[in-house]
Amino acid sequence: MTRVWLPCGDYHQYYAEDQGWWQTNVVKGKMIFLLLIVFVIIPLFAQYEIIIDGYWLGVANMIGYTALGALGVQLLIGYAGLITLGHAAFIAVGAYTSTLLILRFPWPQFAIDWGIAYPISIIIAGLVAGLWSVLFGLPSARVKGFYLILTTMAAQFITVDFVLTQYVSKIGGRGQAFSLPPGTIKIGPWFIDTDIKVYFLMIILLTLTVMVMANLLRSRVGRAWIAIRDNDIAAETLGINIVWYKLLNFFVAGFMGGIAGAFWVSNCAALSPEHFPWFWSLWLVGVILIGGGGIDGAIFGSIFMVMVMELLQMAAIPLAEYYPKILFDFAFIKDAAFGLAICAFLIYEPRGISYRWWQIKNYFNLWPFSY
Amino acid sequence: MELFLMTLTTGIMVGGIYALVALGWVLIYKCSGVLNLAMGELTLIGAYVTLSFYTAGVPFILSVICTLIIGIVLGILVERIFLDRLIGEPILAVIMVTVGLSFFLKGAIGFIWGTDTMVFTPAIFSLKPFTIGFLKISTVYFWSFILAIVLFLVFVAFFKYTRWGLSMQATADDETAALSLGVSARFVYAAAWAIAFMSAGVGGALLGNINGINISIGYLGLLVLPAVVLGGLNSIPGAVVGGITIGILQNFAGTYLDGFFPGGVKEIFPFAFMAIFLLFMPYGFWGWEKIERM
Repeated sequence: MTRVWLPCGDYHQYYAEDQGWWQTNVVKGKMIFLLLIVFVIIPLFAQYEIIIDGYWLGVANMIGYTALGALGVQLLIGYAGLITLGHAAFIAVGAYTSTLLILRFPWPQFAIDWGIAYPISIIIAGLVAGLWSVLFGLPSARVKGFYLILTTMAAQFITVDFVLTQYVSKIGGRGQAFSLPPGTIKIGPWFIDTDIKVYFLMIILLTLTVMVMANLLRSRVGRAWIAIRDNDIAAETLGINIVWYKLLNFFVAGFMGGIAGAFWVSNCAALSPEHFPWFWSLWLVGVILIGGGGIDGAIFGSIFMVMVMELLQMAAIPLAEYYPKILFDFAFIKDAAFGLAICAFLIYEPRGISYRWWQIKNYFNLWPFSY
Repeated sequence: MELFLMTLTTGIMVGGIYALVALGWVLIYKCSGVLNLAMGELTLIGAYVTLSFYTAGVPFILSVICTLIIGIVLGILVERIFLDRLIGEPILAVIMVTVGLSFFLKGAIGFIWGTDTMVFTPAIFSLKPFTIGFLKISTVYFWSFILAIVLFLVFVAFFKYTRWGLSMQATADDETAALSLGVSARFVYAAAWAIAFMSAGVGGALLGNINGINISIGYLGLLVLPAVVLGGLNSIPGAVVGGITIGILQNFAGTYLDGFFPGGVKEIFPFAFMAIFLLFMPYGFWGWEKIERM
């Protein structure tokens, strides 16, 4: 089923049209409008501090980071049925690869002058994270469901709590964290040192990732993944090499995670394993559960979760006057709210926000003369 | 040799506690098919509740019994509020509800008890180890092991000889047949969660005696996952063997591998072992093998 609503009497003549991204001019207009908002209007507003000040730009960057991670999880869970509870490990691998490359690799002088060191490190970070992800995806050749959850959990504990904490963090004798002073990260002529530059980097990466993922999903590869998700035995009888496609899925999801991690490097002053706890893996899964299916689901979920947490924090600040402990305990309130949100969505709205969005769109497509 | 034997005994004794927690996990899975990732938080709750009673001046054994009662109440509440509505939903939904539950409980625990490490004061078990032959055994480990085993036997007797226990066994075996014989499945689910809360709670209280109570007890509760994978997800004897094996492996890793891989090898070794074990025997030693060609 195509998710695009077509007006009555509109038919496609070719399959290429049926698979097209922007099937009607309305859709095309809406998408261009959306791109205009994220690329022009939000930065302009932020520039002149109308409504959006530096704080909200930081929130937007957080949303982008969450969405980049959640897209990888969506690819694994939503499109191939490979349940993962260890995606933060791959994000961490990407972040550390990128950091180590920037800080320790003997770049030739022209690479630093032209500012291509960080872009190259993003790609390498994606590749390394993808391969690391394939390594832990190998058991998926034999097990699925709950057992795969356990393997990905093991990936989380082995990668973050052991390899990164005990060994990688100690490279260069820095102890726990790699510090990234402003000015370390440079793309072309720009130093990524302000929120607005991070925002642009985020939105470009996010757009590219969404484009790649949307294209993959309407290709042979994406159809194979969906077939495996729906029924793996039937998929195999159709001649789909299950193991190969599952590992490919792990690779692509890991690649996206690596890019997310490499992006996060630009947004933080120091990198330590505490940025990637098991909590973060679960958080990403929660995001796509709340968001629902599809690419839009991952993005809706990211927006919803980050905004809810921000609003909770804003609500907590005035309360602190009467009950000061609340600020100190905010992390716990956040945990509990997240847990309750997951449970409530699974019980009352199991198909997530994107389904609700789809319903709203359908309602207005026929408005005011719905059946 | 002495080091070897001491590591072994410590491993067995800690493993006894893991086995107790694993029992609760396996029970939930057998009876209702729920794969529970909130076990760590159940352990934490038990530890903190016992501690609160003990600090209020209740003797240790009585506070353990109070923990059991609170465990029953909490278990039934949790099952009724969160999991009852999800019977028959896809596996991811059920697992993620338990994850959500674990976050909720963790948040609640942090809010009520804070993050500082708390210890049982005055200490319940003497710090002086006692000696059998040439083996030095820490008193805490020994009595924890004994208490874990006693509780374990109580639970097993409950399943074997009481009407409720038998109805739980019947449901685990074949739900439809049990329903047609008049067993209430909803009662059985609630009872399974109640028992899980009880066993995890006492496990947590015992673990809390060893190193004090903080959030890391929750991590120890997660160790139940390698244990049940090793024994097979739906086998109660498997849970015992798995729990004890994980306890032994963990202690051996801490004693012998720490020299080669300095740092936290003791914490992650059970999970690394589990990841490799899953490659070769995904259904564990005594789990039901579902033949699925992939």
